[in-house]
Amino acid sequence: MESIRKLSFQTSQFFSFVSKNQIFLMSLLFMSMISFSLLAITFGSYGLSIVDFLLGKTSEIQNTVLTEIRLPRVILSGLAGASLGISGAALQGLFRNPLADPGLIGVSAGAALGATLMIVLGGDIFSQYSLGVFFIPLAAIAGSSLVILMLYFMTKGFGYEGVTYMLLVGIAINAIAGVGIGILTYISSDSELRSLTFWTMGSFGGVTWPLLIPVILIIALAIIIMIPCSRQLDLLQLGEPEAFRLGVDVQKLKYTIILTCAASVGASVALSGMIGFVGLIVPHLTRLLGGVNHNYVLPGSALMGAALMIIADLIARVIIQPAELPIGLITSAIGSPFFLWLIFKIKKL
Amino acid sequence: MTISAKSISLELGGKKILNNISMDVRPGEILSIIGPNGAGKTSLLNVLSGNIKSHNGNVSYNNTPLESISIQERAYIRSVMSQFQSIAFDYSVEDILQMGWLDHSHKDIKEDLSAFQNQVIKECDMENLIHQKFNTLSGGEQRRVHFARTLLQLWQPANTKDQNYLLLDEPFSNLDLVHKVKMMESIKAKASSGTGILMILHDLNLAYAFSDKILLLKNGRVIEQGETKKMLSAKLLARAYETFISIDENPINIRYY
Repeated sequence: MESIRKLSFQTSQFFSFVSKNQIFLMSLLFMSMISFSLLAITFGSYGLSIVDFLLGKTSEIQNTVLTEIRLPRVILSGLAGASLGISGAALQGLFRNPLADPGLIGVSAGAALGATLMIVLGGDIFSQYSLGVFFIPLAAIAGSSLVILMLYFMTKGFGYEGVTYMLLVGIAINAIAGVGIGILTYISSDSELRSLTFWTMGSFGGVTWPLLIPVILIIALAIIIMIPCSRQLDLLQLGEPEAFRLGVDVQKLKYTIILTCAASVGASVALSGMIGFVGLIVPHLTRLLGGVNHNYVLPGSALMGAALMIIADLIARVIIQPAELPIGLITSAIGSPFFLWLIFKIKKL
Repeated sequence: MTISAKSISLELGGKKILNNISMDVRPGEILSIIGPNGAGKTSLLNVLSGNIKSHNGNVSYNNTPLESISIQERAYIRSVMSQFQSIAFDYSVEDILQMGWLDHSHKDIKEDLSAFQNQVIKECDMENLIHQKFNTLSGGEQRRVHFARTLLQLWQPANTKDQNYLLLDEPFSNLDLVHKVKMMESIKAKASSGTGILMILHDLNLAYAFSDKILLLKNGRVIEQGETKKMLSAKLLARAYETFISIDENPINIRYY
């Protein structure tokens, strides 16, 4: 074979299928993400000004609020949004199923169960090691991997025909995990476990840098691995045999997507709990805006997920000040009618 | 320089699907596989394309065993059109077509590739389809798009001439008469440029009008294979299809090519 010939997805130029319009949209999303972040750092029950901070005019308390509370919180909300958005997009691509959402199909629940198990039953172990901060995200990742693998084998890589079945399996997994988390919450002491509301509705509050840093690393790595798979995910839409004939190592692709989705969802759930419907809505909005090719949908969903989640968390913090709405309440309030609309629209269930 | 299959056997779920099949697809030749439902035609194509691994025997492309050709390299050597599943997302026709662009990202060949794409669009009569959404097309139109995609997949840079192959599973299903003829012309042209062609066909009239060689399959066994003229026997076909078959001259005398 001529050396000049290399399959397009093997080269680094995986953006060659992105249109100018899509690049413009992605830059727009990126800029909204940045401006929402600035807004979210500024507003809250404790007033802050970034300009003052940069000029060194802020007090020590204000500095602490900004660097130790506000900033990690904004970063976590952005990361969670990005990881749920891109994982939703990648799973929808992998299962060739527009309703595959990490929350609906039980992946988030698996991660939450993994994390609670580690916190309640392994509480003494993980505090003793210096790498202990990785244990909770790792347990969550193990939980989410298990669920995705199980789904994959139960639906045998179904594709479009398996939509209903996949959702039913998701209901069952969500129920099982709900029971597990419920029991663990009940038997744990208050100091061990955050409230049940945290795991079922999610929250970005109370996060600290030592917990956040491993999660940043895991999610960044997962996204970096996931995005170059875009072209192969496009080819996969023709069906697995067809993708194989176009040169895609389908087996390898599957495991790459399963592992990276599990890692990013697991890591985000470990710190922020289960936040529903983000992985469903974000990829669909992204597609509605600019097209369905994964070279655009994957990075676009990450950016849009981050932007939306940052602004949603800001709303959750300020709407009933000084109290706070659970973030999952907001995403579900928007997401569930959207879900119904989607079911109505595709009708192929 | 052939696709060569030697004593292929395949078993799926305890059932013998293919039994000791040997065959060749030669450059520039059109070989049609015919036979009743469940004869194993599609399975044979899947073994040849490398999608299914046979239990016995071996497949080689241009004297290289299939297993020692990487998945990526295979995409350059053979392109396949098979029965399709529905597509979940709203890709445009052009998106689907360009999935056959194997090495799109190379800047030096992008122009050649675009020119070739326009040629294929014209050849497959797709000018008015290209900007539509793939899922809004009729079954026949979708097949034409997939056929065009498999043609794009066979594109080679100007100074390369690697032996390649086109494998087609029921390419003409759902097509109207005009587009059947057009697709046949494309396939003929591809063959005369040196590509080896294997087709699964249910329409015996088409198969006999159109192929250089015919392979008759039944219950996973080759009943007979050879030059089309030699294969034109009512007795042979009756044995395979277990029904009465008569061979007549075509009264309307439509020539397909």
